[in-house]
Amino acid sequence: MKRKLAVVVGLAVVASLSLAACSSGDSATTEPSGPVTLSLSGWSLDTTPEFQVLADAFHEQNDDVTIELKEYDPAEYNTLVTADLAAGSGPDIITQKEVKYVTTFQEGGQLLDVSDIELPEGIGGASSYEVDGVQYGVPYRQDSWVLFYNKALFDQAGVAYPDGTWTWDDYDAAAADLTAGLGGAKGSYMHRWQSVVQGFANAQTGADILDGDYGYLEDYYDRVLSLQDSGAQVDFNTSSANSLTYQGEFGKQNAAMLPMGTWFTATLISQQASGEADDFEWGMAPIPQLDSSTTGTDETPVTFGDPTGFSINANIDDEKVAAAKEFLTFAASEEAAQLLAGIGITPALTNDAVVETYFAVDGAPTDELSAFAWSTHDTFPENPTSNKTAAVQGILGDLHTAVMSGSVDVKTAIAEAEDRVANEVGTD
Amino acid sequence: MTTTAAPETGIATPAASAAPPPRRRRSALRRRNALIGWSFILPNFLGFGFLTLVPVLILFYMAFTNWNVFGKADWVGIANFQRLLGDGSFHTAFWNTLYYSALHIPLTIAVSLGLALLLNQKLRGVAFFRTAAFFPYITSIVAIAVVWNLLFSPDYGPINEVLRAIGIENPPGWLTSQEWAMPAVVIVSTWRDMGYYMILLLAGLQTVPRELYEAARVDGANAWQRFVNVTLPCLRPTMFFVTVMLTINSFKVFDLILVMTDGGPGQATLVLSQFIYRKGFEESQFGYASSAAVVLFLLCIVVTIIQFFWNKRRSV
Repeated sequence: MKRKLAVVVGLAVVASLSLAACSSGDSATTEPSGPVTLSLSGWSLDTTPEFQVLADAFHEQNDDVTIELKEYDPAEYNTLVTADLAAGSGPDIITQKEVKYVTTFQEGGQLLDVSDIELPEGIGGASSYEVDGVQYGVPYRQDSWVLFYNKALFDQAGVAYPDGTWTWDDYDAAAADLTAGLGGAKGSYMHRWQSVVQGFANAQTGADILDGDYGYLEDYYDRVLSLQDSGAQVDFNTSSANSLTYQGEFGKQNAAMLPMGTWFTATLISQQASGEADDFEWGMAPIPQLDSSTTGTDETPVTFGDPTGFSINANIDDEKVAAAKEFLTFAASEEAAQLLAGIGITPALTNDAVVETYFAVDGAPTDELSAFAWSTHDTFPENPTSNKTAAVQGILGDLHTAVMSGSVDVKTAIAEAEDRVANEVGTD
Repeated sequence: MTTTAAPETGIATPAASAAPPPRRRRSALRRRNALIGWSFILPNFLGFGFLTLVPVLILFYMAFTNWNVFGKADWVGIANFQRLLGDGSFHTAFWNTLYYSALHIPLTIAVSLGLALLLNQKLRGVAFFRTAAFFPYITSIVAIAVVWNLLFSPDYGPINEVLRAIGIENPPGWLTSQEWAMPAVVIVSTWRDMGYYMILLLAGLQTVPRELYEAARVDGANAWQRFVNVTLPCLRPTMFFVTVMLTINSFKVFDLILVMTDGGPGQATLVLSQFIYRKGFEESQFGYASSAAVVLFLLCIVVTIIQFFWNKRRSV
């Protein structure tokens, strides 16, 4: 609370400065006269090594450019970076932790146009940093949601592993069979986040959350609620009351299946190595699909996920611009992708060599389906790049807690959300 | 006769001979005391001025702009306030704030007063009980939220276990129910705050003259009559302070609700402070959030003024 208070006060004070004047940087680049030091925003540096890995590798290739990391509290990252940028003390390179804040920074004139950076072919998530045809950032990692499953629990329950052909009906049936066969552990754990239901619904039905029509969510919520009712997964209220974590539920083998983003791979490997998670064999499978048209390893499964990227502070010194753009180019390159894959991070650029590096990590699964699930998918952004996204997601978050807690029926909650989006935000 | 008299007090010191007349000396002393006084209050006043007063004044300006953290704040007149009138979430937050306050204020006063009366007795170990009653107020709010979330768990929580044991077949869903989430939050909030207000009321109780109770007893007043006719009237200044503080704090409630329910389920526990936080910090609409903050400020000030007038009339 104290931190929030400090942030509120800080923003209020810088408000007075911003009210008086507004400066915008000149994006023209000039050659640096000597060594350049660039600051790069990050969070939890102890447990998020990607920033240091990229900074060190870039410095190795560019002796005269040093990347200094500026650590922020992960829980308040966007608020704190916003406060720093508003006060004119923001980082030179801004890590875009959440796509939904890109337009806030862009509309506020804080991001430099980086359209001249040539991105490698096949890189994912670049469109999330594009506003009106102008590129304001480059992705360096692109996590997508896949299905993690515990092979030991599947074997114990005598249930066949997912084979890439699953629809949600198959998932529900497997969850029921696993729960019945395990006699303690649940077949499924779906975390409390709205993404776990809405992300798949948005991506697999091709919906646009900004158009204000949410009828497509009904089937997805009905399915998850019936999983709860049948006891095949722990219910939302119990999960909330006990503050369950997805790492604990899957890592301690309380659940055999977990739909989750690929970032969990690195966590699971590390927790198994440290003993925080049980030692068991696990794998990744494509996330179950709406229907069979996108199932099977000959097809491309549809899932969702947001990239993480780098942008350049528009108020950066002119002589730093060239170096900053070079860093962004490097971060999006195959070389950086290899480095990231080597530490268990899912890079935005994947190819066979990157897949090989990623799965060569000690503790990573070795089966082909895991490699397929990790590398092959049609990933729709969870958060469209729009200044309405944060408000709409807030309303959909209220819908989620109302439905999942069982306090409002799905149809009523959807109708309320549609009404609120139309009245409070407006639709595209 | 001599025209010059020798000093009667012996040798005059240079200081004494240079001493200013008494009026000048008093003025210098007053200035010195004033400076010392200012030096005591200045650090606090500077902190208040720069970190509270200035931001609050800016907030009033921002409420009439479309400021979104970056860039210029364009003047939009009363557009933000007009938008508030048609904003369903704001209406929900407003009524939820009143609902929370309507439950929290009387309940906290009743519990705190009861506790203060109990702990005003000459009991063995009363110091321990007074300290214990104050513990919730100084306990981490996150720890409070985690523990109470477990207690309120609808299926496995001990509260509902007890309710089932005494024959209530369908106990409330508490934090998972739109109807019961706010009462649940109020219960926790009252439990947390009761120690603080108990201390204030206890201090008030100890100022009530013993003689009044003795006189009432002599007149044949029973315990209830002594409470109504002696305790409550004598406690009025303290009660007034407690009510004003409790009202303002209830209108501003934020942290407990944020960590316990985050405004949910749905918008069942969304209050004005959280509405302001969401609009400002999650949606970067600082101008709009400021207008809601102004409404909250006005709500606090109007209710406080009404309380002052009411108290003044009763005093007369």
